[in-house]
Amino acid sequence: MELTTDFYQLIDALKADSANSLKLFLPEITLCVSIVLFLAVRLITNKLDLFWVALAGAVVGLIFSNPLQLCGGDVQSEELFTGLLVHDGLTIAIRTVLMLFLVLFLVFTKISGVPDRDDGADVYSLVFGSTLGMCLMASANHLLIVFLAIEMAGVPSYVLAGLIKGRKRGSEAALKYAIYGAGAAGVMLYGISLLVGLTGTAHLPTMALSLAEVIPAAGLGEQAVLCLAAVMISVGVAFKLSAVPFHFWAPDVFHGACAEVNAFLSVASKAAALALLLRLAVGLGSVPLHEIGPTRAFESHQETSLSDVTSTQWVLLEDDSDAVEAVVDGDSSTVLHVEPQEPGAEEITVVDVRHEIKQAYDEALTPVRNFIGLLVAFFAVITATFGNLAAYGQKNIKRLLAYSTIAHAGYMMMAISPLMMMLSTDNAAAEEAASALIQYIVVYLFLNLGAFAIIAFLRNYVGSEEIEDYSGMIKSRPVLVICLALIFFSLVGLPPLSGFLGKFAIFASLADGYSTAGSSALLILLLAGGINTAISLFYYLRVIKTMVMREPNEEHHLGDRPVGRIEMAYVILVTVPTVFLIVCWQWVAGFADEAVKNFIS
Amino acid sequence: MLLIGTVSVSWYLAVGAVLFVLGAVCMATKRNLLGVLMGVELVLNGANMNFIAFGSKVLRPEGSLGLDGQLIALFVIVLAAAEAAVALAIALNFYNNHNTVDVDRANELNG
Repeated sequence: MELTTDFYQLIDALKADSANSLKLFLPEITLCVSIVLFLAVRLITNKLDLFWVALAGAVVGLIFSNPLQLCGGDVQSEELFTGLLVHDGLTIAIRTVLMLFLVLFLVFTKISGVPDRDDGADVYSLVFGSTLGMCLMASANHLLIVFLAIEMAGVPSYVLAGLIKGRKRGSEAALKYAIYGAGAAGVMLYGISLLVGLTGTAHLPTMALSLAEVIPAAGLGEQAVLCLAAVMISVGVAFKLSAVPFHFWAPDVFHGACAEVNAFLSVASKAAALALLLRLAVGLGSVPLHEIGPTRAFESHQETSLSDVTSTQWVLLEDDSDAVEAVVDGDSSTVLHVEPQEPGAEEITVVDVRHEIKQAYDEALTPVRNFIGLLVAFFAVITATFGNLAAYGQKNIKRLLAYSTIAHAGYMMMAISPLMMMLSTDNAAAEEAASALIQYIVVYLFLNLGAFAIIAFLRNYVGSEEIEDYSGMIKSRPVLVICLALIFFSLVGLPPLSGFLGKFAIFASLADGYSTAGSSALLILLLAGGINTAISLFYYLRVIKTMVMREPNEEHHLGDRPVGRIEMAYVILVTVPTVFLIVCWQWVAGFADEAVKNFIS
Repeated sequence: MLLIGTVSVSWYLAVGAVLFVLGAVCMATKRNLLGVLMGVELVLNGANMNFIAFGSKVLRPEGSLGLDGQLIALFVIVLAAAEAAVALAIALNFYNNHNTVDVDRANELNG
């Protein structure tokens, strides 16, 4: 009898959990439904252009991801599906960015004509499937989901890279992407298995708690295994970010795939990978407050009168403080002494105690944070530097932008380093670093989407993607060239443009981190960022110079067909935010600040 | 002695590690595309071995992953199948364009 009641209780709890989770999971469900529709509609009729179904799906997804929730005040962090996913401001923000990108991307593919109507169903289902994976990456709270999401985002992109049939380069790009991707995922999975084995859980917050207990007592062997696991997991994430030395797929894939796919890979995939990195870093580097005795705090809030406070509650707290004492390994200053106090102070004391317990756990996690911070700093410096240096010799515009994407991944990773160094010592500053990252992602969305849209349209008119063939383009297609120039200057980070503010936010958090944490790694990062910004100016300028200063190359100049109105309108629509985001920067900053508000607790 | 000793987690981990290394070497050295894909499968199965060993309550009465380990392994098996299907389709596409499945022939794009 006992068993059946337990069973029913379990079912009821699961039902309640699922009902609540599904409500917050609507954008992803919309994506799933759209994929089914793409495949089903084609069975019924061939007349309907699936673009409209896709657009409707993406718009509904954008509405469901509900960015206005961020304006409405506090979004509490909530665990979905028994802790597999987490729903908080960051989830909402990244999901909004992804869905907004999806809408703009679909319009872009419609205008540029790739995919054609026959391929529509396949391509849209791949794109939506990949986006679904990216949404999961942004909300992962469990290492199984981390791996699944990376694969879900990756596998459809391998196919997308070889989208255009019968092209040698496309098939080669897809092949390289698939092999490298599968290899990186395998290594990452092995790293996850080691980490999960050592900590005895795959749930991120629990894992942080468990790490806090394991690390102070860890021997040399365990430390080595932990480091190995961290490095192996970083291989998978670095591959997604195209961070050096796991970048080699990026130029080849970008060269071989069409510009539409490049836009998708360079914006959506980067945004999701950075969100995942943020989640992993913060998730492993600190213990969230609600993980520490949530039930106990709940009980004490329920108590209204002091006389009800039983001694058992104090004993419970004492127990915890003992645990903490063990954790901090004899550091008596952080050991808690809970003494009987006056009635009124009771509730506050309990909350304070939880904060102090968290403090002690976080202190035990300091090596984790430093390790992640330094690892990311290392990747960021070499990624930004290598990306910018390698971009110099490129003759193909898509290859050039591939290296520029790599360099920008480096800049964006830079924000994670000060975040890790300041986490738990100065949480407000750490949140600012996370917010800087989100701001950069928002700006970057418009920049790279605009750049690849212009490249795709130029390809449709000129039939070439070599920089040489763009010479003198200003005469025949001035609007596209001016827009591309604005986007490139913004990518460099020249002051009046929005790219400057994104970069400034990240560099400011680096400087802030250096003055707070005093780690020289952050100073190196800051210097590397500054020097890289300066050297990146030249290769962007070279493209613009070719387009503006050089005489048109008669041999390669294919046709003078003027640019269509719709193309022009789209390019201007995407370029306007690049230029004018600076006017309403407080919106972007506010959006990012709200997104990370309850992220670090 | 080896035959009568109790089997512990580390035995399984050793098998997993061997599988992982074999897979990694296979990925790095095989020139045939299908060989590379087999290497990927070995790596994934090496990790799976770890998950199952860590998830076993018999091998590890304390601090075991429990059902999580086995569930992760199941998910990975399904995922490996999906990935293999996609990779084979891509390999077929490559073969149609290049008339070979030798990865060294994928050298048109060199970055």
